[in-house]
Amino acid sequence: MNAADALLLVMVGGLTAYALLAGADFGAGVWDLVATGPDAPGQRRLIAASLGPVWEANHVWLIFVIVAMFSGFPTAFGVVGGTLELPLALALVGIVLRGSAYVYRAYGGGAAGPDHWWGRVFAVASTVTPFMLGTAGAAMASGQGRPGDPFAPLRSPFGLVAGALAVAGTAFLAAVYLCRDAAAGPATAHLIDGLRRRALASAVVAGALAAALLPLLWLDAPTVADRFMTRGMPFVVVSALGGVGALVLIGRRRYGPARLAAGLAVAGVVWGWAAAQYPDLVVGQVTVRAAAAPPANINALLLAILVGMALLIPALVLLFRVFAQPEPPDDQ
Amino acid sequence: MILIPTITAAATAGNPRIAPGAGTARAADLLAAAHPLAASTDLARAQTGFSLAFHICFAVFGVGLPWLLLYTEGRWIRTGDEVWYALTRTWARAFAVLFAIGAVSGTVLSFEFGLLWPAFMARYGGALGLPFTLEGFAFFFEAVWLGLYLYGWRRLPARWHWATLFPIAISGTLSTLFIVAANAWMNVPRGVREVDGQVVSAEPLAPFTTPSALPQALHMLVAALMCTGGAVAGVYAVGMLRGRRDLYHRRGLRVGLVTVLAGAPLQLVIGDWAARVVERQQPLKLAAMEGLYRTGNHAPLTLGGFYDARSGQLRYGVKVPDLLSVITGWSPGHTVQGLSAAPAGDRPNAFVVHLAFDSMVGLGSALILFSALVAVVVLRRQRAGRRPYLPTGRWWLLAAVATGPASLLAVLAGWEVTEGGRQPWIVYGRMRVSEAVTTNSGIGWAFGGTLLLYLGLATALGLILRRMATGGPTYDADAPRPPTRGPVVTTTAGNRSAAGGAPVDEPGAGGRVGRGGR
Repeated sequence: MNAADALLLVMVGGLTAYALLAGADFGAGVWDLVATGPDAPGQRRLIAASLGPVWEANHVWLIFVIVAMFSGFPTAFGVVGGTLELPLALALVGIVLRGSAYVYRAYGGGAAGPDHWWGRVFAVASTVTPFMLGTAGAAMASGQGRPGDPFAPLRSPFGLVAGALAVAGTAFLAAVYLCRDAAAGPATAHLIDGLRRRALASAVVAGALAAALLPLLWLDAPTVADRFMTRGMPFVVVSALGGVGALVLIGRRRYGPARLAAGLAVAGVVWGWAAAQYPDLVVGQVTVRAAAAPPANINALLLAILVGMALLIPALVLLFRVFAQPEPPDDQ
Repeated sequence: MILIPTITAAATAGNPRIAPGAGTARAADLLAAAHPLAASTDLARAQTGFSLAFHICFAVFGVGLPWLLLYTEGRWIRTGDEVWYALTRTWARAFAVLFAIGAVSGTVLSFEFGLLWPAFMARYGGALGLPFTLEGFAFFFEAVWLGLYLYGWRRLPARWHWATLFPIAISGTLSTLFIVAANAWMNVPRGVREVDGQVVSAEPLAPFTTPSALPQALHMLVAALMCTGGAVAGVYAVGMLRGRRDLYHRRGLRVGLVTVLAGAPLQLVIGDWAARVVERQQPLKLAAMEGLYRTGNHAPLTLGGFYDARSGQLRYGVKVPDLLSVITGWSPGHTVQGLSAAPAGDRPNAFVVHLAFDSMVGLGSALILFSALVAVVVLRRQRAGRRPYLPTGRWWLLAAVATGPASLLAVLAGWEVTEGGRQPWIVYGRMRVSEAVTTNSGIGWAFGGTLLLYLGLATALGLILRRMATGGPTYDADAPRPPTRGPVVTTTAGNRSAAGGAPVDEPGAGGRVGRGGR
């Protein structure tokens, strides 16, 4: 394994962290969007309380992956920027609106329009962003993005189903994570049943979308499909076991371990995709070898990442430990 | 704080090919005759410049506010004085919103490099990898510790809570240095070897060792602190002008004003250093800054005036003979390179760059003058033992209100000098902006969308900040107790706005018992 491959592994790690942490934040926004009934305000408060301290740190994993990509594989970043501009631009709109709507609602005190308006913006943007990122990922596998045709990635059924799968996956993660947050205090215990139903429903939807995606993968991304059935298979198994395990654990009200299992279910998809993608970065357009920066630069990056992670990870652990239990929403 | 003020092409939308003063008919002709790429280059530059300007306006607070918070919260911890606590809480809330906007607009920039300048990133992304990666980590660090700071009031002991500001302030500062280093490399690209437009090797550390890195980074850092101090001073000066002359307002004014006024003279020294590096490394940029057409000795320095590209003359400026030669080479015989040294197509737009440079220098000089006047008054009052030392008369307060906008305008003008002065290059002497730009046709839509989205968000943010800034703290019965008795944090001042008097809903701000969340 050379330096470029090592950097690629680090990027897949960063992407996994983004999917599992920020993904759950986006998924929570999806549940904010569809919250109805008498429990809706309680659900929204729980969601806001569990996101508060961590969403910005979770979001930075994306910047980490993007920076690693344009530093380590600059040519690929050029190709991605020139072919996936529409889904990426829409994902950016989602990112901008999600972040600003969240703080405007939390700190605005109604000074810039009613809080529930910003709540809606937050929820819609949280749904759009994973969809667009899923579509962009699919286009990297299919190579369907073309310069001068920004709509191409959004016309492909494969891309659209992949986007929907990303939304369902994040919603599933969020529902499972929120079960544990809700179980943490008596004030939110009544929300658990609704969240368990949501976890189950989103798991079923995600499973169905994954099943629908497979034939489209063969059709639109045959190169990746071939590798997916061989190299990707162990990860698919991990993903499926994780998904089923999460549901069983949710059924037994073991929410802590259920988080882990749900995380494996989503991580398995990311890893399977990454394994099947290698050595292409964008299939048919750019490979790892062709895109890699000079080795001295990649080595410097790896060193910087090593030192950076050594400093960062203890801080992250501290953050998650301090806020392991969300603020009791009733206390506000 | 992700402070990516820099990378990229200029902040101007104007087509540099059109001579200022040219009639509209001529401009239209030129536009029509120009390569279709010209329009797309202008749109991409406009979008990048707008995104950068937007980002800078918020990112500077992410760099400056934690240092001010370290002071105010530190004073609260030492004294238990609720006024310091009230100031800290108000600023922390403003910081939370400003940081989030800075973060998302910084994310937009990291994508925009690829979306708008794919060829630039494809060729030089590797060479710039180290500063960007380090900046990413600095930002990551800041976000993690900020989460602990903003939501940890009830979960961390008071001293620990205060201590989380150190990693926040340090990483915010470092991210400025890292990201400006990337821009410095675009100005003075060192250590890169290319064969047929392919980078075969690039020294990873080159962005940090390039001569422009340190002066540029320090210039931006002090500027960020000045903007923060000026904005803070302005908020409390407005309050005092409206008659709220309590301790809360006086202290807020003092902390802000001391920051901006201490930075102003320092900035003169750093700015001078930066300009000398520009003279050696990018003589054309200096020529554009000074509006100097002819290369030669006895170069004059012209204050103000508008550069006319057709005649190569500065109109309506005040010309001081020999001064530019004397400043740059300490002798009237020193030769200074003029714009004429380069073919017309390789010159920056001196009309814009000179105007921006003089605006920055003018605003900076005004701040230095104000700083000197305040210093004189403070010294005299100190000698006479008359408190308060800071002058707070009507005109002094009005001047204090102006320091924030003046600093911010000076920063934007300074970036226009840096970026506009590098034109037509995106990487000086190596890659032109027109070679780097995307060929996508939809960037007009992208620019329009960015404009609408950002203006909407900025309006909402302005309303929220105004609400936070208006009025003073309302001290209720539930006043904070000295932190030495334990991590007890109470609802108080700063969470309430005078306008409505109603508590503002903040996650985790409303508790009255320490460690309530456990």
